[in-house]
Amino acid sequence: MGGLNASLSVASQGLQAQEAAISVTTNNIANANTPGYSREIVNLSEGVAVGQGDTALGGGVTLQGFSSVRDQLLALRIQQQTSQQSSADAQTSALNEVQNLFPSSGSGLGTDFSAFFSSISALSANPANAATRQSVLSSAQNLASEFNSISNGLSSQQTSLSQQVTSSVAQINQLSSQIATLNNQLTQLTAQGENVGTIQDQIQQDELSLSQLTNISITHTNSGIDSITTGNGTSLVLGNQSFALHTTTDSNGLTQVADSSGNTITASITGGSLGGVIQTRDTDLPSLQTQLDTLAHQFATAINSAQAQGYNQNGTAGTALFTIPSTVSGSAALISVSSSVTTASIAASSDGSSGSNGNVANLSAVATTALALGSTPSNAYASLVDQVGNYAANATAESTAIGTSLAQLNQQQSSESGVSIDQESTNLIQYQQAYEAAAKVISTISTLFTATLSIVGG
Amino acid sequence: MRFNPTFSTTITADIQQSEQALQTALQQVSTGKRVNLPSDDPTASAALVQNLTQYANDDQYTANADSALSQAQAADQALSQTVTLLNQAISLGTEGANSTTSASQRQEDATQVQGILASVANQANATFSGISLFGGTANGTVAFTSNGSGGYTYNGNSDVNYVAVGATLNVQTNVPGNQIFQQSGASALGSLQQLATALTSGTSAQIGAATTAVTSALNYVSQQHAIYGNTINQLTAQQTYLSQDQVTLTSQQQSLVGITTATAAENLAQAETQNSATLEAAAKVLPTTLLSYLQN
Repeated sequence: MGGLNASLSVASQGLQAQEAAISVTTNNIANANTPGYSREIVNLSEGVAVGQGDTALGGGVTLQGFSSVRDQLLALRIQQQTSQQSSADAQTSALNEVQNLFPSSGSGLGTDFSAFFSSISALSANPANAATRQSVLSSAQNLASEFNSISNGLSSQQTSLSQQVTSSVAQINQLSSQIATLNNQLTQLTAQGENVGTIQDQIQQDELSLSQLTNISITHTNSGIDSITTGNGTSLVLGNQSFALHTTTDSNGLTQVADSSGNTITASITGGSLGGVIQTRDTDLPSLQTQLDTLAHQFATAINSAQAQGYNQNGTAGTALFTIPSTVSGSAALISVSSSVTTASIAASSDGSSGSNGNVANLSAVATTALALGSTPSNAYASLVDQVGNYAANATAESTAIGTSLAQLNQQQSSESGVSIDQESTNLIQYQQAYEAAAKVISTISTLFTATLSIVGG
Repeated sequence: MRFNPTFSTTITADIQQSEQALQTALQQVSTGKRVNLPSDDPTASAALVQNLTQYANDDQYTANADSALSQAQAADQALSQTVTLLNQAISLGTEGANSTTSASQRQEDATQVQGILASVANQANATFSGISLFGGTANGTVAFTSNGSGGYTYNGNSDVNYVAVGATLNVQTNVPGNQIFQQSGASALGSLQQLATALTSGTSAQIGAATTAVTSALNYVSQQHAIYGNTINQLTAQQTYLSQDQVTLTSQQQSLVGITTATAAENLAQAETQNSATLEAAAKVLPTTLLSYLQN
């Protein structure tokens, strides 16, 4: 080998290599803003040296193919943190709505408690006055309605979160099946020796979407095929197979998540927006609901027993002002002013005479005496405000904290895999110049051939 | 290390963050509040609930104190009148007990004492906003009615009412009428009736004894009068305390959830500066690429 023919072949390889490099650059520029795209590079290597007598000449350039620049470990960390952040964001969004039910000022349970006890206190100045008695009755009705409305607000939030569970499960199933299909394509393309960068990008992007929905665990195999399970090990994708999750409705009307065999896995879902929704629906809201029920039950019981210690306007023993269920559960939703109660029913008197206000002290004492739950009614409400505020504030703080580290990870990933227009522009010029040079070589060799042939022909 | 080429997302996040800060600062200026939702400061929100409860309690205690004060003042006035009337009766009795006083003068005095008795009974039946001041806790009844033979029957009861004017302060709002006007051994109504009878048909000694009885009644009514005086003093002092407490609570509310106008304005100015700096930086950096230079 050697001579002009060899040089022509090397120059032609050079043209092909620069063409390939230009096509990679073009593809990178085209996908500069495509979410999940990892920049590709062209893999070139020196051709095998060709011997010519005692000297060995370079064998030109060999195009090895293309590869995507990605860091699998970084991608995993991003997926994990995305999962945590989505969970915190879902909680923040659900709890922000809930905390509107527990205002610290303006109209709310706190104000209604104050109004109720003020109206009772006003009775002491004029216990027989019909207008004052009516105001006790009205404020008791307002208080009961406020309990009902907060309880309904909590329940309807639970229902709406259940709907989110259903839609999240549907999205998880769709993504799982998409990844299984992509895995299949990946296997086939790998077998054919094709570039699989695009497929891998799509799989990575789908895995990120999946981790936004729930906490997942990804296992990379040697063949490059990922298998995916939920946090507790329930299989979602295994090779080219996907396993759909199901939803069922429990006895409380709440949507539960079940694996493909029908086992309930709701409690083990802790990350992603689904995990956040489940945490709020099954832990935070029931805790608030139970405290509200306890407050309603103990408050009503205390007022009713204070009523029983006195006499109504007709001189007979006081009867229950509030009607509540016998169990604590459901008390806030069902508390109401007893249907038989009239203005005369309020037991202000301690001696049976209608001008006595002796029992007002017992009724008022409910405001200042700790209930069985450990604090006075308004302090119990204050701690509910504190708690709901803390739930929402913690979720927001968590989201912010993860957001900061996630931003860093994303920057890291972007600096690894992101397309730089400046870099691609530089490359393009470089490849253009190399292409032009190779073309010039071919043209020169062609001239040389012509010159040589003219000697022969001459 | 390779730099991050896609910094547009970072810039977008920065812009969003500075706009969020601007919005928060704007809200603080417009509402004058640092805490608008429980999650802004859970502890302060819970403390605000307790503060507002106490404030509402103070409102009600003040209303109770106002009402109790008016009632006590009305009773105080009735008893002041009674004291004046009893003093007049004592003067008449002292005059009547003098052996030189003529029978006709005594008759005249007797008529005046009967008038005084009726006036005292009238004071004993005084009402305030429909409540009998001296009828105990009985409602809708006249405290004293004439028994037809110059005496008076008490229709009320011996109970008393208290009004809460503070978390631990209850003030007695009434003294039962039988205790003031018909106290055994110091009965104002009884001694006046006794004096009228003595002046009409009794001896100087009997008139003297009856006058002494009226004096005892006067002393006793004066003592009861002092109870109302104390109540009034207590209520006035409590009103002052409550209004001071509300001032303290209002200032606590401000420090719990409020923000001073100066701080809010400063925060807003800072947020505005930061926001415009972020936008300006983005405007400078974003359009510049190598291509912009290659084209020239």
